[in-house]
Amino acid sequence: MGVQLLLEKAKVEGIRKYEVYRREGGYRSVEKALKTMSPETIVDEVKKSGLRGRGGAGFPTGMKWSFIAKPEGVSRHLVCNADESEPGTFKDRFLMEFIPHLLIEGLIVSSFALGSNTTYIYIRGEYAWVAEILEFAIAEAKANGFLGKNILGTGFDCEIYVHRGAGAYICGEETALIESLEGKRGNPRIKPPFPAIQGAWMRPTVVNNVETLAAIVPIINLGGDEYAKIGIGKSTGTKLMSACGNIKKPGVYEIDMTISVEEFIFSDEYCGGIANGKRLKACIPGGSSVPILPANLLLKTAKGDTRYMNYESLSDGGFATGSMMGSGGFIVLDEDQCVVKNTYTFARFYRHESCGQCSPCREGTGWMEKLLLRLENGQGKISDIDLLWDIQRKIEGNTICPLGDAAAWPVAAAIRHFRDEFEWHVTHAEEAVKMNYGLAHYADPIHVPA
Amino acid sequence: MNKFSEEKLAKVKEIISHYPEGKQKSALLPVLHIAQDSFGGWLSAETMDYVAELLQITPIEVYEVATFYSMYNLKPVGKYMFEVCQTGPCMLNGSDNIIAYIGEKLGIKPGETTADDLFTLKTVECLGACGYAPMMQLGKHYREHLTKEKVDSIIEECRKNAEANN
Ligand SMILES: Cc1cc2nc3c(=O)[nH]c(=O)nc-3n(C[C@H](O)[C@H](O)[C@H](O)COP(=O)(O)O)c2cc1C
Ligand code: SF4
Ligand code: FES
Repeated sequence: MGVQLLLEKAKVEGIRKYEVYRREGGYRSVEKALKTMSPETIVDEVKKSGLRGRGGAGFPTGMKWSFIAKPEGVSRHLVCNADESEPGTFKDRFLMEFIPHLLIEGLIVSSFALGSNTTYIYIRGEYAWVAEILEFAIAEAKANGFLGKNILGTGFDCEIYVHRGAGAYICGEETALIESLEGKRGNPRIKPPFPAIQGAWMRPTVVNNVETLAAIVPIINLGGDEYAKIGIGKSTGTKLMSACGNIKKPGVYEIDMTISVEEFIFSDEYCGGIANGKRLKACIPGGSSVPILPANLLLKTAKGDTRYMNYESLSDGGFATGSMMGSGGFIVLDEDQCVVKNTYTFARFYRHESCGQCSPCREGTGWMEKLLLRLENGQGKISDIDLLWDIQRKIEGNTICPLGDAAAWPVAAAIRHFRDEFEWHVTHAEEAVKMNYGLAHYADPIHVPA
Repeated sequence: MNKFSEEKLAKVKEIISHYPEGKQKSALLPVLHIAQDSFGGWLSAETMDYVAELLQITPIEVYEVATFYSMYNLKPVGKYMFEVCQTGPCMLNGSDNIIAYIGEKLGIKPGETTADDLFTLKTVECLGACGYAPMMQLGKHYREHLTKEKVDSIIEECRKNAEANN
């Protein structure tokens, strides 16, 4: 098993409780950071660690932190993004549910580094019981002197509050999240100004993902340089992957980013192979927004190199033949799955979640949903495929926030790699409603079940 | 008209204190959750007006928010709401069949409530349980790895609870 920095202790009996977590070495990073480091040296360590945001965009965390404005007399805030609504993604839930103190610990250190005396965890409303687990952990941390006034006698004050959303994917986008925290509709803001300058209540604000903030704990404990030695290239540290779809062992796995995609899917340590003795058809490796790849481009790049589970390798080939690490939501499709139908469910999702501010996104997502449903039901025309292509192209890059792109990319990639399957839905309309297109030439030739 | 108990009013006050002075509007989402839980599982116009008054904001500010977020119900729902996920990963694991089965069993379509006001069936989009698909949300908890047998026992369990509470 590869190195475990986040989930190593998640299975320890009773780890949700403060005493157990503390006995296992928890909260050491708070002692180290608050007593022996300055906020600037913490930011430097995070820069050295090479940590990239785990929320989806992969932006370097240390750099993001260094952008926060520090106007005299204005409070600053850290907001933890626990909205986790990208289809395929359930890693943050796992971390919060099973090892909540790790997040709280990371939040205290990060709050100190950023000068946030009031920090919020914005959690998706449906995770009601997870919010309770977090509130319990916060109360325990406070009772033990790690939160509240004058933490560990250092003069640093910090409170953490949990704020539940109420069902809206768009509130994972950081400016929509801020609007929602302010008690408004989740309409993304036009940037600039960026949250680091004017965020929540127009105060400098940093929004980071749950996993990003939890990773601050091993970074402080190990030191940035040591953390950076784990992984490869610009993919440092470990990554949580939430694996789902048609695999034998769905679940959350902490991976060292040097393993290959093939190992991740087929080894018993991770996904355990395709369920029910079927073959691999396709995969969406980083959450519903990233391009889908057919098996033959997933295990090997277009150049024939082994593809690895890291930022660079997954995106090798760009959108033409590659995909993205995204949020780590790894969705696997077996030979019986229909790419048109899967794409339709995503299009419906994005139409449902569009906030409606920009016409390309509001109208385009609805059009794409309708066209895909028509094709799926065997009522489509060949020209519908071209129309879909045209619509997605007109959304991409023409909207206030990246939800527009997130809605466009899955449709583009599905048509790019599976056009024959879309066409078959038109030419074999009657069959298309009864059966699936199957594997064609997409299947990976390496893994043929006996 | 519905009003919060003293205990809930204290909770509301506590929540308001989490946000900066004068930014009590920030408490709107959490307070709407409490209101929905307290007043029959949905938000009537009176409830929303009451929340507006409590937070000293205009009613339209509450309506705007209540209509935006999918967890707020703007009309009455059954005592037990089955919110079944239908997005990609759940679909790949047979959520279509589960939705159809529940609908058949309860004699309702998605979006409808049974005549005895006991059950509402609703389809929802990804709830962050994709690895435990197919799944649904029932009240504050998730029910995962759904099968027909599991659905049967959940319905049974709800009926029993409803009887016990009557
Ligand atoms: C539509 C949309 C939804 C998003 N949802 C989430 C989410 O659920 N969780 C998350 O951490 N980031 C999400 N993001 C990314 C955030 O905007 C932001 O980049 C991220 O929280 C920054 O944290 P990081 O730097 O630690 O990754 C979303 C972005 C978009 C455009
Ligand atoms: S791209 Fe879509 S979700 Fe984003 S602001 Fe525009 S309409 Fe809203
Ligand atoms: S797709 Fe159903 S919970 Fe994610």
